[in-house]
Amino acid sequence: MGLLRYESQTRNPLVTGHKTYHQVTEDIVRPIEAKPSKLWKIGFTISLFLLSFGAYSVYRDVVYGIGQWNLNKTVGWGWDITNFVWWVGIGHAGTLISAILLLFRQGWRTGVNRAAEAMTIFAVMCAGQFPIFHMGRVWNAFFVLPYPNTRGPLWVNFNSPLLWDVFAISTYFTVSLLFWYAGLLPDLATVRDRAKEKWRKRMYGVLSFGWTGSTKHWQRHESLSLVLAGLSTPLVLSVHTIVSFDFATSVIPGWHTTIFPPYFVAGAIFSGFAMVQTLLLIVRKVLSLEDYITLEHIEVMNKVIVLTGSIVGIAYITELFISWYGQNPYEAAAFRNRWDITTPLAWSYYLMMSCNVLSPQIFWFRKMRRNITVTFFMSIIVNVGMWFERFVIIVTSIYRDYLPSSWSTYYRPTIWEVGFYMGTFGLFFTCFFLFSKFFPVIAIAEIKHILKKSGESYKEGVGGIEAQAPEEFAHEQAHAH
Amino acid sequence: MANKKYWQSFGELHNSEAHQENVQNEFREELPFEDLEGKGLLDAKAPRRDFLKYLGFSTAAAAVAASCEVPVKKAIPYLNKPAEITPGVANYYATTYVSGGEVIPVVAKVRDGRPIKIEGNDLSAITKGGTTPRVQASVLDLYDTARLRYPSKDGKEVSSLEAFDKMVSEALAGLGGAPVVLLTSTITSPSTKQIITEFLAKYPGGRHVQYDAISYSGMLQANEAAYGKRAFPAYQLEKAKVVVGIGADFLGTWLNPLEQQKGYTQGRKINEANPEMSKHYQFECMLSMTGANADERFTHRPSETGAVALSLLNAVSGQSVSVSDAKLKAGIEKVAKDLLANKGAAVVMCGSNDVNIQVIVAAINEAIGANGTVLNWAAPSQTRQGVDSEFAKLVTDMTAGSIGALLIWDANPAYDYADAEKFKAAVKNVKVSVSFNEKMDETTELCKYVLPANNYLESWGDAEPKAGYYSLMQPTISPLFKTRQLQDTLLVWTGSKTAYHDYFNTFWAAKVGGQAAYLKALQAGVIEPAAAVSGTSYNGAKVAEATAAINSAKKGGEIELVLYEKVSMGDGKQANNPWLQEMPDPITKITWDNYAIISPALGKKLFGIDVLNRTAADTYDVETPKPMATVKVGGKEITIPTIIVPGIQANTIAIAVGYGRSEKIGKAVKHYDGSTLGQNVFGLATVNNGNVVYAAGDVTITNANKKYKLAQTQTHASYEGRREVVKELTLESFKKNPKQIWEARDKELAPFGGLAEYEKEGTIYPHYDRPGIKWGMSIDLNSCYGCGACVVACTAENNVAVVGKSEVLRAHEMHWLRIDRYFSGDAADADSIQTLFQPMLCQHCDNAPCENVCPVAATNHSSEGLNQMTYNRCIGTRYCANNCPYKVRRFNWADYTGADSFPDNQKNTGGLGDIGHLDESVLMMNDELTRMVLNPDVTVRSRGVIEKCSFCVQRLQEGKLKAKKENRTLTDNDAKTACQQACAADAIVFGNANNTESQISKTRQDNKNRMFFTLEQLHVLPNVNYLAKIRNTDVVLGVKDEEEEGHEEHKAEKKEAAHS
Repeated sequence: MGLLRYESQTRNPLVTGHKTYHQVTEDIVRPIEAKPSKLWKIGFTISLFLLSFGAYSVYRDVVYGIGQWNLNKTVGWGWDITNFVWWVGIGHAGTLISAILLLFRQGWRTGVNRAAEAMTIFAVMCAGQFPIFHMGRVWNAFFVLPYPNTRGPLWVNFNSPLLWDVFAISTYFTVSLLFWYAGLLPDLATVRDRAKEKWRKRMYGVLSFGWTGSTKHWQRHESLSLVLAGLSTPLVLSVHTIVSFDFATSVIPGWHTTIFPPYFVAGAIFSGFAMVQTLLLIVRKVLSLEDYITLEHIEVMNKVIVLTGSIVGIAYITELFISWYGQNPYEAAAFRNRWDITTPLAWSYYLMMSCNVLSPQIFWFRKMRRNITVTFFMSIIVNVGMWFERFVIIVTSIYRDYLPSSWSTYYRPTIWEVGFYMGTFGLFFTCFFLFSKFFPVIAIAEIKHILKKSGESYKEGVGGIEAQAPEEFAHEQAHAH
Repeated sequence: MANKKYWQSFGELHNSEAHQENVQNEFREELPFEDLEGKGLLDAKAPRRDFLKYLGFSTAAAAVAASCEVPVKKAIPYLNKPAEITPGVANYYATTYVSGGEVIPVVAKVRDGRPIKIEGNDLSAITKGGTTPRVQASVLDLYDTARLRYPSKDGKEVSSLEAFDKMVSEALAGLGGAPVVLLTSTITSPSTKQIITEFLAKYPGGRHVQYDAISYSGMLQANEAAYGKRAFPAYQLEKAKVVVGIGADFLGTWLNPLEQQKGYTQGRKINEANPEMSKHYQFECMLSMTGANADERFTHRPSETGAVALSLLNAVSGQSVSVSDAKLKAGIEKVAKDLLANKGAAVVMCGSNDVNIQVIVAAINEAIGANGTVLNWAAPSQTRQGVDSEFAKLVTDMTAGSIGALLIWDANPAYDYADAEKFKAAVKNVKVSVSFNEKMDETTELCKYVLPANNYLESWGDAEPKAGYYSLMQPTISPLFKTRQLQDTLLVWTGSKTAYHDYFNTFWAAKVGGQAAYLKALQAGVIEPAAAVSGTSYNGAKVAEATAAINSAKKGGEIELVLYEKVSMGDGKQANNPWLQEMPDPITKITWDNYAIISPALGKKLFGIDVLNRTAADTYDVETPKPMATVKVGGKEITIPTIIVPGIQANTIAIAVGYGRSEKIGKAVKHYDGSTLGQNVFGLATVNNGNVVYAAGDVTITNANKKYKLAQTQTHASYEGRREVVKELTLESFKKNPKQIWEARDKELAPFGGLAEYEKEGTIYPHYDRPGIKWGMSIDLNSCYGCGACVVACTAENNVAVVGKSEVLRAHEMHWLRIDRYFSGDAADADSIQTLFQPMLCQHCDNAPCENVCPVAATNHSSEGLNQMTYNRCIGTRYCANNCPYKVRRFNWADYTGADSFPDNQKNTGGLGDIGHLDESVLMMNDELTRMVLNPDVTVRSRGVIEKCSFCVQRLQEGKLKAKKENRTLTDNDAKTACQQACAADAIVFGNANNTESQISKTRQDNKNRMFFTLEQLHVLPNVNYLAKIRNTDVVLGVKDEEEEGHEEHKAEKKEAAHS
């Protein structure tokens, strides 16, 4: 076993600052036990304000109708579905980090998985608002559920990709939530055990489901995590695939594209990682967790960004190529509406291209990958770009489709469309602020798992081993037990 | 056996006391009821059943109390049911639409005592069942909330009609002999004319003056000079092989458009076995709807109209043509050659109101042998009788104070006279002014006494549009308000005791020979003689004089102006009709406003907008605010929005009349922000030889540096060469290879087994037979003139919501049927513009892309091929609308109909940015009164659901039931869609495509070579097919066509398709 546990000395430690187990607990639980900082209060207030503006925007939409938005006879979906796809995309990184990287035994995930998973859950919550409130008659939204009924019985239309969305997203949300919560159990118990006030003890007691840390608990916990990771892995790939079917199965040029599933998944991971960067760069700073979310983590995630960004770039170019190679005049026209700088919405295509394809190439340079300012800036740029990717796909495809007679007026969002989007930011950050206040933002138990092999003290301690001859090392190890 | 007793216990066996008590009590043990006091449960104060009653009552009460916001609407059944009314079954009454001389025999559909739809009367030989948009919309005028509801004097209500009569009689008696003048629009009614004569006989010195909002008096005078008749011939265009229009919108608004359309259509229908069609040339200053249908167009300045007519006369008489413009000259020579080659089968129509020009036109018609062939004088038309000089004299007399009383009916000179201010001032000098009007219009406002008039649907009456052709009018509903029709009033004021109904009855019974014949005539609605054709003697004496006058006519300035009527709005009488206001103009596709149409060249010069540049054109297209210009004519100046349209002469601007009405005629003439919709431009007309001419020669136009939002339903004008969308061919090319369209389709679909196998092979899914009824529609692009009657008919039939200008601006209009208008040709060359109209509605695809994407299956396919909407099920994801390649699905963006479950959400003030603020016109359509026009067979859709064309499924069901009850198969006449019925050009054919005897099957069979489906390659399998447009011209522009290879010289001219 000893040999397999060996981690190369050349790798930088994932937990810096010579932490002990106790220190780890102290560092991570501190924000939960301390009074909220001023920064936290300001941030939370802004979030609540955004959330209430969003709620009012949605109220107008529900009471006065979708006419509160500038959608029209030709452009039936605009900011609503753009935001939906964008948020769902963001919601991909968390589960990817926790599930796929768990299966691939990527040690670095432990530093970021908790926050990333929380982000996933909140992002999916935000995403869900859009397909619900973009309905003309939201009070009948339950019609999309295949429940037994007396109307015939009348079932949902299983042919519709929108229905697949309902299943895909609700499943994804449920599994992600369970996975996240399962991971939280030991940490919640830690918080409970440290709690001094009664209500605190009781609250965390309930939340931790009576976790005692017995071996049996650990064993079940590990198995459950593995099972959920197994379940989540295909979901990471399926959700955005299914979201892409909303477009790919249609007859509209620019939507009807077979490349969409892989391209959407790559884009989702791309934007998800960017969002994780944005959040974690703030969190590590505000909660002083630089020892746990290190430059190593940031660099690794930047590598994922440059990889997925390039995949997305290839997909864009492939689309363009096919629109020419396919010789379908309608598809060619749809893509001309993107690349031809003289068309009314071409600016959004070039904005998307530069944000998503060109700018992430900067991460080929190690220096840039490890530069926090650059990373933070790029993480924002990537998400702007990914928002525009969805906007380009949705709006520039339908605003000029088959019949030129329907090429309609310029689509601009109204204040209430923007308000709804802002409202989801409010929801997202309200949730995230509450999360950072009441839950450990880093998985304490999991960090402790890797502390021995990737902590700074360990790395220094094994310095001598590096110098040993392999035979000698093997001999020593063989006789150690 | 029967007496055998079963027992369960000894108690029961012996029927002990304890057992009896047990039987009495339902429960063995005592129940914990407080006031039971040991008595039996049923004897308690509140026994179990009462408890259940209380429970039930309180639940019901709570439920009622909780839902008490639902207003109680009472539907009270008849105590004594009228024999002719069966709830749910419509009655049809033949009557006549009469408006300002325009006479159209119609049939009113009356449901449960209220007229809800107007159809054309098929029995009329003149209109043959055709209707116009204005006729279709006229039923809404009946329920206009702004109608006058009681008589008034000086704006104060007069308690009763009798009191009003007394007041006016006293006033008339006190005139002291000053003359009484009756001012009306053209009256063709024989009985009314008789009543007027009787009335005026009572007031010596009195006279009857007829005044038309749009004057035809120049033409009347010219016809009087040339033919000795102050009337119009019937233009029998079916007999013409060459039709020439000189500024005459004869398919849209000029003279008797329906009659002309009916004739013109016959010459334009293509018989595939023997493809021939008439040739239509149009000389005009702007692009009119009629011009848009011409095979060849030549543009000129308004001041050159006389010169064009004169040159044409010269050319047909073999003299030289003296027009400076080379293109125009070539055109005139070409037309003249064609006219001469078709002597006796050619006609020239001119829309000018200049006597001299019309004299020349008469001379041309004489020279080409039209008189007595195409021009039929056997039954002259009398639909316009106003003579401008007579009206001018009246105004002079009024100004001089020599008119005692002015009685006005159906005339509104304070709005539509060229010198309205003079008329307004003159009214003040009249002692007694009385207006009989449905509305408080601009003229009625000036009158002392106002007597509300009946709508035509509430009136008795008759009309004689052509000599000997009568159309009768009967009421379809009791007068809604305290109103009385003109004839009744005049009879009362004459002192007659007869009501007009009896007068009318006697009049007609005498005329047709008895009461039975009268009733029969009333039922049929029309009395018409056998058709006859004859010419009349021609007198060319005035030609020389006219020639001299035209030659010496003043040349126009740099910019000239032409005024025109929109096919929807006409002279503006129906301006408070939201259906008409929201009907897009055939050419500009703009709703709710008028504007100055300017050429691309002028647009560049004035505003720097170069629509020949694609980027600039795109920007111009997609932005709703359009630049405004200041137009100065004579001393008058207006600031008006402009719209760039190709096809208008480069230095001419065109503005539609009929807008800028007073807000007193209703709420639909204003935008919610208080701005008036459009502007009144009648004042810009000029007077020439005493006649009003709707043009001005010396105009200045400048950039007003302001913008104004114009609500346009179609912004992109080119079909971008997309031949899968529309197909057009030249006649020559079609003759050369009639099968070319079929072959091209077959070639396109070759990978799927060609046309024959496409339906099956174009999909991986199994193929099903479609037995039984299969509804199908065929639309002939050759016959559609874009008039929009179908659009309004569809709105009326299907309760399509009016959304108002503010919502049309946001592309939220709800029309189930629209007419797509495409231009091709060089935008810089007005003459090259070719226009194509394509009615677009739900194609009822058999493999509908909208159906499979709906998550809740709210839209699905019927076994009869209908793509149907289940409004109750719709949750409004709009996915279907996105996935519709034809973009015909419409979403209820706001609560347009008041059918929503959220109360008071129509009066949304919009909040930040004033978003979604609904216009007053939308609220007006929700008024209790206006809602009476709704078709009870069609659901009113609530907010948040998608709707679209249903092929008038309510009519189909009715037709099927009818056939079933009569135990026979369905025929074409059982079920017609509203659009089909309204179309005067018979462009729409509809029926059961599975029945080989049906018209639709025959049409598809007979027109195999022209038939195509829009976007057929998508394999959506539409049930609506189109028949390709055939142009009787040399070249079809705007498409790259292998068949047109021979026309290299034209190809060079093609350039980019026109945008605007």
